[in-house]
Amino acid sequence: MNCETCQLKELLVVPTEIQDVLRCILHTIIFHRALGLVRPKDVECEHFELTYVRCGDHEIEKKIDEKIDQFIGWVEKHPNRKGQVCLSFYEVKNKHATWFGNKIERLYWEQWYINLHVLNPKSHGKSHYTKAPISTGENASEESSSRHAALESSLCEVLFQIIRFADEKKDHIPTVQNSEIISFPFEISTPSSSDSSFGWHADVLKRMLQTGHPSMLS
Amino acid sequence: MATPSESDRTEQIITLFLHKAQHAVLASRIPHLHLSAPRPTSARDRWFHLALGDLPAQIGHHGAVMDPLVVDILLTPRGDADDPTGSPEAVVERWTAQCVPPSPWSAAAPHHPHDGSWHRKTYKKSIILLRSLYALLRLLPAHRIFRLLCSSSQPYNYDLSYRISSFVAPLSRAEEAELKQYSFAPVETLFGQLVVSVQYRPSLANFNLEVSSMPPMIITDYVGSPAADPMRPFPSSLPERVSRPIMHQYPPTGIRTSAAPSFDRPHSWNSTPLAHHPLSSASGLPVSEIGFLLPENYGHLVPNQRPLGERKGSSGYNELKLSPPLSTSASPSPPTRGGDSPQSRFHLETAPVSIPTGKSQHRSPNLSDPFKSLLPPPSPRSTRADPYCQESPSRSISFRKSEGSILGDVYSNFHIYAAHKGLKDGRDDSGRFSALSSGGSPRYGFSRSSSRLSIQDDLDDGDFSYPFAVDDVDTSDSQARSFDGKEASEDTLSHKSPEFGSSHKSREAEVGILVHMLKTAAPLRQGQGSLLSSESNAEVSMSSSVMSRKTCDVLEELQSYKELKNLLLSKSKSGSLDSVKQRKE
Repeated sequence: MNCETCQLKELLVVPTEIQDVLRCILHTIIFHRALGLVRPKDVECEHFELTYVRCGDHEIEKKIDEKIDQFIGWVEKHPNRKGQVCLSFYEVKNKHATWFGNKIERLYWEQWYINLHVLNPKSHGKSHYTKAPISTGENASEESSSRHAALESSLCEVLFQIIRFADEKKDHIPTVQNSEIISFPFEISTPSSSDSSFGWHADVLKRMLQTGHPSMLS
Repeated sequence: MATPSESDRTEQIITLFLHKAQHAVLASRIPHLHLSAPRPTSARDRWFHLALGDLPAQIGHHGAVMDPLVVDILLTPRGDADDPTGSPEAVVERWTAQCVPPSPWSAAAPHHPHDGSWHRKTYKKSIILLRSLYALLRLLPAHRIFRLLCSSSQPYNYDLSYRISSFVAPLSRAEEAELKQYSFAPVETLFGQLVVSVQYRPSLANFNLEVSSMPPMIITDYVGSPAADPMRPFPSSLPERVSRPIMHQYPPTGIRTSAAPSFDRPHSWNSTPLAHHPLSSASGLPVSEIGFLLPENYGHLVPNQRPLGERKGSSGYNELKLSPPLSTSASPSPPTRGGDSPQSRFHLETAPVSIPTGKSQHRSPNLSDPFKSLLPPPSPRSTRADPYCQESPSRSISFRKSEGSILGDVYSNFHIYAAHKGLKDGRDDSGRFSALSSGGSPRYGFSRSSSRLSIQDDLDDGDFSYPFAVDDVDTSDSQARSFDGKEASEDTLSHKSPEFGSSHKSREAEVGILVHMLKTAAPLRQGQGSLLSSESNAEVSMSSSVMSRKTCDVLEELQSYKELKNLLLSKSKSGSLDSVKQRKE
């Protein structure tokens, strides 16, 4: 099975916006891939004039919020860094039993990479892009509002991107095996909180070990 | 070749997909349908694993399977549909869903497996397509307007409406230029490709969406309103209420006109009804062809839309509540309908006039009745009893006696009566009029004979005062006239005038001027003086009473102030005396 990968547009966010942005993106993706019977629930973003859709399943919401908290914790320890959250859909295949027990293999058939560039306003001395001096007073508020408006527009583009990708790429989706809301298992990966680079690489290696050899399109 | 069951399945999938797509669009764009759509989980609702509830039965795609479904979302300006100057409705979105059959000249027909899995793939992809459609509905600009209309309790100047058709009506070039298009990935079906697309306006900034200037709802039971306490007398702050602006009643004009009372005043809501309004009895348009207003507005409308025939009694009261603040339920008479003339309404709406029963009530200024401050002082004859008549016989005799010397002079009798009035004021302290002053009832009303007799009586006493000044215009005329017996009257007055005392000089002077004017005034009838001289005293008293009435009106008011003053002084004295007596006891 081919694993479709979607790299979403990078978003420039401040820590207070992380939760809203990630909820919006993650729920929209899952809404397109949770093919069980759902009663959609419209949710309005707290910081943006956007409405996204949730499946209305409490377990999904809980899992998403936990992962978002993990990412926020990592951001607090690693300010002004680029972070990535990965949402992966997989199939579970039991491999033959080995000496160490039954090995469960995950076949990822779709991965979504959410790229965030987190700006910390406190330690934001100079802009990473313009290297301009610290702006104070009205200029700072104007920059903040313009940045916020740009983020809202970018977030809307990201949602459009998700809709287009999810709609166009349908052939690789496996057969629905159950009638539950979550038709396909998924996982959300965040950078490890121990060490940024090492932890992130460890997660990638772990995923590679869990993922089987990508097979041909079925 | 597909089996009949697979064809039926595919047809069913396509039909229900179109219905579901239409449902998703309307539920996300039309506030009325969004609010009223129930959310049961019926068998049909479970299709495509997207539970949206059920739409009204009359709203649906009734075309054939292969017929396109076109749903236009319109931004309709709220207001008079017949107004030619109003902006027309605009298409903000056009959703098109159709199963497009493969072209006969296509290179190769798609290979359909015969294992029956085709329709399952179709169904799965249709599910995802619907999810994408549902998510996109929330991202388009029209959704903000929809949210605004749903969340706001106030009406806006625009409404969202829809139009469903089975053919793609061409849009104008201007509209086409303003619309952007987004097409979803087609879903392969047995009959062709299931294609869904949307044409939308990327920006709705041109539509100045704002709260409608429709009149707000009338609050009829505000704190302190007559509605809260119908028996409460009209407050003294009437002038303030009169100046308060009129509160108009919700809802839109068309609805109001059909059931609202017909007031004489041209209010802004009494305009031509909305012919196209769905609630209008004249409207026979189908639901799908007309715009929808917020359903919560109708809830406020219904209780107030009572026919006029049912408004007798209480209805008139309700109509009064709609009228300006002058309206009140404190009127003792039953309220009439709102279509009465303003005069009758004013009469209906005036506060009950308190009838003064005592001297104090009459003498003291009526601060509680604002009408009295606006109206001229009431005529003494209308509000005063006639104890004066009862008390005057003794004095009337004396008056008659003295009058004999001035018979034939109507005006002399008149000024004698005026002098009597002033005499009364001057007599309060002496005690001569103690009975009158403490009687408690006004003495302005009197019979013809009694008034004259009282004047005569007062003249005999020799104590007289002139409480009112005389007009300058009359003074010049009165000086040119001469009457029979005038000198006698003048002698009488001059005899009495020194006895007025220095304490009432100003008033006395005024009264003196008035009396002099009356003395020198020409008689009403030339022959009347001779007739009176030969007739009985009753006839003389009649003519004198006519003149005396004119002056008594003028003099009585001053006398009332004087009596009031004396009353207050006497009360204060009596009160102090009583307290002393009580202490001694």
